[in-house]
Amino acid sequence: MRTPRVLALGASILVLAGACSTGGGASQSAAAPSAPGSSAPSTEPASVAPKAPIKIGSDNFYESELMGEIYAQVLENDGYTVERKYKLGSRQERIPTMDAGQVDMVAEYVGSGLGFYAKDKITGDGQANAEELQKVLTPKGITVLGITPGEDTNAFVVRKDTSDTLGLTKMSQLKDHQDDLKWGLPADCDTNPLCKGALEEYGITYPPKQRSALGACDVPMAQALDGKAIDVAELCSTQPAISQFGFVSLEDDLDTQPAENIAPLVRDDYLAKVDKTAFAALLDAASAKMTTEELTKLGVLVAVDQKDIADVAKQWLTDQGLLK
Amino acid sequence: MEDIIKFFLDPANWAGQAGIPNRLLEHLEISGVAIFVATVVGLPLGLYTGHTGRGANLAINIANIGRAVPSLAILVMVLPVTLALAPVLGYPPPLGLNPLPILISMTLLAIPPILVNAYAGLRSVDRELIEAARGMGMRERQILRSTELPLASPVIIGGFRTATLSVIATATIGAILSGGGLGRFIFDGLNQGLVGRPSIYAGAILVTVLAVAVDLGLALVQRRLTPVSLRKPIGTPSRGWTQTAEVPQSGGMPGPI
Repeated sequence: MRTPRVLALGASILVLAGACSTGGGASQSAAAPSAPGSSAPSTEPASVAPKAPIKIGSDNFYESELMGEIYAQVLENDGYTVERKYKLGSRQERIPTMDAGQVDMVAEYVGSGLGFYAKDKITGDGQANAEELQKVLTPKGITVLGITPGEDTNAFVVRKDTSDTLGLTKMSQLKDHQDDLKWGLPADCDTNPLCKGALEEYGITYPPKQRSALGACDVPMAQALDGKAIDVAELCSTQPAISQFGFVSLEDDLDTQPAENIAPLVRDDYLAKVDKTAFAALLDAASAKMTTEELTKLGVLVAVDQKDIADVAKQWLTDQGLLK
Repeated sequence: MEDIIKFFLDPANWAGQAGIPNRLLEHLEISGVAIFVATVVGLPLGLYTGHTGRGANLAINIANIGRAVPSLAILVMVLPVTLALAPVLGYPPPLGLNPLPILISMTLLAIPPILVNAYAGLRSVDRELIEAARGMGMRERQILRSTELPLASPVIIGGFRTATLSVIATATIGAILSGGGLGRFIFDGLNQGLVGRPSIYAGAILVTVLAVAVDLGLALVQRRLTPVSLRKPIGTPSRGWTQTAEVPQSGGMPGPI
């Protein structure tokens, strides 16, 4: 009775696999004719720039949604109609969603966003990362707008008691204790130059003897560190868990971590429907005010104090004088 | 598709801790232990409630909570508990991260089908038969062993099939909490961007193949354990009293529960 159903499941997975491998090509060709030059200016009124409704997406975690909401409110304030499509999943799910045109815009980290396509091209310079990312995204019909000065980068973090007993404050001090510590590293660390490469730069023999594979910047990683299942965790520098549990972020004294500034990614077929310069100027003004301190502060408000993301975004925009 | 075939042909994916054989073994270990513990807990309860008819509603409803709460939620919910209990119960904290949470959530997932099918299997045995056995002077334990169990065995094994299938498919989520098993291919692939895609599909295929293979194996066991008089060769009507003691042959749970 059940066996055929399971076979059908297997078959549908295969079909899915086939569909996905062809999906990329289809969306690229669909995006091609809508490149900026192809919009017909004759259909637009010369005086007033049209404000086409925009669909804004986000990844499935608070910071991405917060940035999306900030951009959404800036646009709404200027008279755009915004359709919110938050929590689309991880980069792995969100990218196909945007490629297929389900969303027009999303806030992206320029380092990891570039890393999705070309890990070896990531650098410690945010602007360079944004330019490289633009090169990858141009064939897909996506434009990278201005980056924030603030960034949320990966950080290696220890408990306060570990830091006190071993006198750990910097990454370069980890080398002498590497075999005694239990490491919480993301599953892709082996293939990630920013993880394996960075650790090796600090003189750590990879892989460490005691290692657990957990999602970087994820709640279980923080819980495991707090519960002493691991001693060193890879978290995100603006992650509220760090202040919540009183963890100590180790200083990246060799500057191994990439620049993870945030930038809005917008589909070109959407930009063709609006006044591109004015649109970019609006978002760039908001991005310019988002420093690492602001990002961390807002993160605590959302993730620790459980404030509503829309309220936090509105308050911040008002404080920064970005709403008319 | 081509990349998935390449993934399977790459010798690097067949060797060492991260190789397919070791991950397969880890997967079977997690699933096996979970099914074993679920059997130790669920089967006696199911047999007791099925034989006596007492406490059935309570036991089945409590057990079904294990099925109603998503395994992923259980996995993440028990993590702080297993970590906090480590110093109290004296096991090393890494055990509280992996494999305890995945074993707990998989055991809770496996108990309901085992318990419910054991109960339903015994209940489906013709009451007149049991009365006859009793009339012949058999003791309760004898009735259970030599009358009820053989007749109910196809349904009981059906419960194991359901439990095993769900556990093998769901145990993949253990990889979220650093667990081993075939889920590693899926989650490690998810973490690797575009290059990780073949690993995701390979993991899904491996889990599906394993689940189907184990299920087919159990289907054979199920058929072997079915008393000859209850077997239904295709096209021939079953004989005599077996028509009244209609027992579902499939692994699914019978309707009235």
